[in-house]
Amino acid sequence: MSKGFRQSQAFLHTWSGLLLGWILFLVFVAGTIAFWREGLNRWMRPEIARVEQPMRVLAGAQAYLARKAPDAKSWIIPVATKRSPGAQLFWVPQPKPGEERGRGRSRGRRDTQALIGADGQVAQARETRGGEFFYRFHFDLHYMPVIWARWLVGFATMVMLVAIISGIVTHKKIFKDFFTLRRARGQRSWLDGHNATAVLALPFHLMITYTGLVTLMTLLMPWAVVANYTDQKTVFAALFPTAAAIERTGRPAPLIDLRRIATDAQRRLGAPASFIEVSDPGDAAARVSVSQSANSMLSSRTPQLTYDGVTGRLVWRSPPPGAAAETAGAMVGLHAGRFAGNGGRWLYFLCGIAGTLMIASGLVLWTVKRRERLPDPTRPHVGFRVVERLNVAVVGGFPLGIACFFCANRLLPVTLHARADWEVHMLFIAWALAAAIAFVARPARVWPSLFAATGVLLVALPVYDVVATDRGLFAMLAIGDLMIAGIDATMALFGIAFLLLARRVARHRPAARRVRSARTAPAAMLEPAE
Amino acid sequence: MNIVSLLLTTAAFGLLGLATDAHHRRRFGHCPQAAQRRLLRNGGWLALVGSVVPAILSRGWIFGPILWAGVVMAGAGIAFLALNVIPARGDTRS
Repeated sequence: MSKGFRQSQAFLHTWSGLLLGWILFLVFVAGTIAFWREGLNRWMRPEIARVEQPMRVLAGAQAYLARKAPDAKSWIIPVATKRSPGAQLFWVPQPKPGEERGRGRSRGRRDTQALIGADGQVAQARETRGGEFFYRFHFDLHYMPVIWARWLVGFATMVMLVAIISGIVTHKKIFKDFFTLRRARGQRSWLDGHNATAVLALPFHLMITYTGLVTLMTLLMPWAVVANYTDQKTVFAALFPTAAAIERTGRPAPLIDLRRIATDAQRRLGAPASFIEVSDPGDAAARVSVSQSANSMLSSRTPQLTYDGVTGRLVWRSPPPGAAAETAGAMVGLHAGRFAGNGGRWLYFLCGIAGTLMIASGLVLWTVKRRERLPDPTRPHVGFRVVERLNVAVVGGFPLGIACFFCANRLLPVTLHARADWEVHMLFIAWALAAAIAFVARPARVWPSLFAATGVLLVALPVYDVVATDRGLFAMLAIGDLMIAGIDATMALFGIAFLLLARRVARHRPAARRVRSARTAPAAMLEPAE
Repeated sequence: MNIVSLLLTTAAFGLLGLATDAHHRRRFGHCPQAAQRRLLRNGGWLALVGSVVPAILSRGWIFGPILWAGVVMAGAGIAFLALNVIPARGDTRS
């Protein structure tokens, strides 16, 4: 391989990694946390008991909807599991004559949704977005139109793929130095850490980046769809087939017990159900569709069964998907890891952390390498300062924001108006403050302060749970609720790690730097990156 | 069965790591001889290939390979940390 090629790849790796590294850091952090989305949905609603009998929740959901929205256009009821906080159902009211029939417009409205708890009653829980926030933020970001966010994240993901592949070429020794970690050696240690987190989880990084692009493929590359289909509806029907819609008759007829249909569907599918959609409930034309749970199969395109809502007769089942749809479904499934049990989730989570560390160390490495070559290290040029401070603001500030988000979940008054939104606002307020401090104070001071603050908050959360609630770590261990106990324990561990990191950074004296830069500066000039 | 697979991959990367000059010297005080190195390498590769079997047996042909890929990364990570973090005899590194 020629020197020129490797140098061009080093250039590509450095600049593609730097310019979108900050967005990729956010995406990786949020995506990694989102692997525990269901667990966090429960952790952030400490009032709610664990679901022991999913069918009881389903019966409660049906009773509630029959009371509350008997003549809705459709009901959407998720089937509760031991992992979920209950059934977060919603309904779509009958469109009024003359009103526009927008798809999913009622989805975000609070007055057409409810959470049914383990006892089949409407749960009295604090308003929160729970783990869903991380899942959505991971590709929709926040405070901006969803479509822009997805373009931005999609573009960053493409660049990530470029950075990974050019990185393999640039850091040519990663496979030879597979086991090497030189500690306390300044730039070398950063490089070894960057390489180790990259190469140890390389299969994951390639998989998650590529399949991430697949989840956004119809947005990023619409041409195949545009060339073959004239309108959105036909594409949707081809990709996600559903039973033919039938007209509402206007004749009332009682809806069958949904538990019977769920039981029958689970027997036919040979797997748990995830969603039940009832169209025209209470009408003679009622239909009940049941989707298979994504926990049971790799592909995210799960099969569906449709029943007659009055007689309970099976009227339709989804055809097996084509090869392309199956492939795309398997890739999306691989990305989200919904099939994984707790052991598998841990693997995904740890790999996500490796990816996060890889991005963070890469960003810091950019400054570490350049600091040694600065003509006057005490007065760096503007570009260097901006990168250095953006690193502090993003890598140091965003975790602090997340810790504040969890604290807000515990501390904001339950009666607060728009409470769920305020939890999210708290994340961004804390992050904005951290960023502001990062831009006015010296990075050497701000790094340890932000890490220490994050660490203190993360350690305080499980302590608060033990002291102020009846859902502390030990109580949860005692009843065998390992998910909640695990989240508390993991937060404490991360808090301790952040505190140790803060101490390490605060004690760091760049005394060795002057000696080393005098010795190796010329060599560093010649060797672009390894 | 997943644990067996994880143990095998951890052992595999441990052996492969000990086959390198740096780690061998650090643990045993000298560079490995050619025969020793071959033994460590072959053992490592054998354990790595062998770890596929329990993964497939426990999870089948769809999830088995995915599990295996995860277990390989986990094993490599554990071996990497063990080789670098556990202090060796007479080692001056902290």
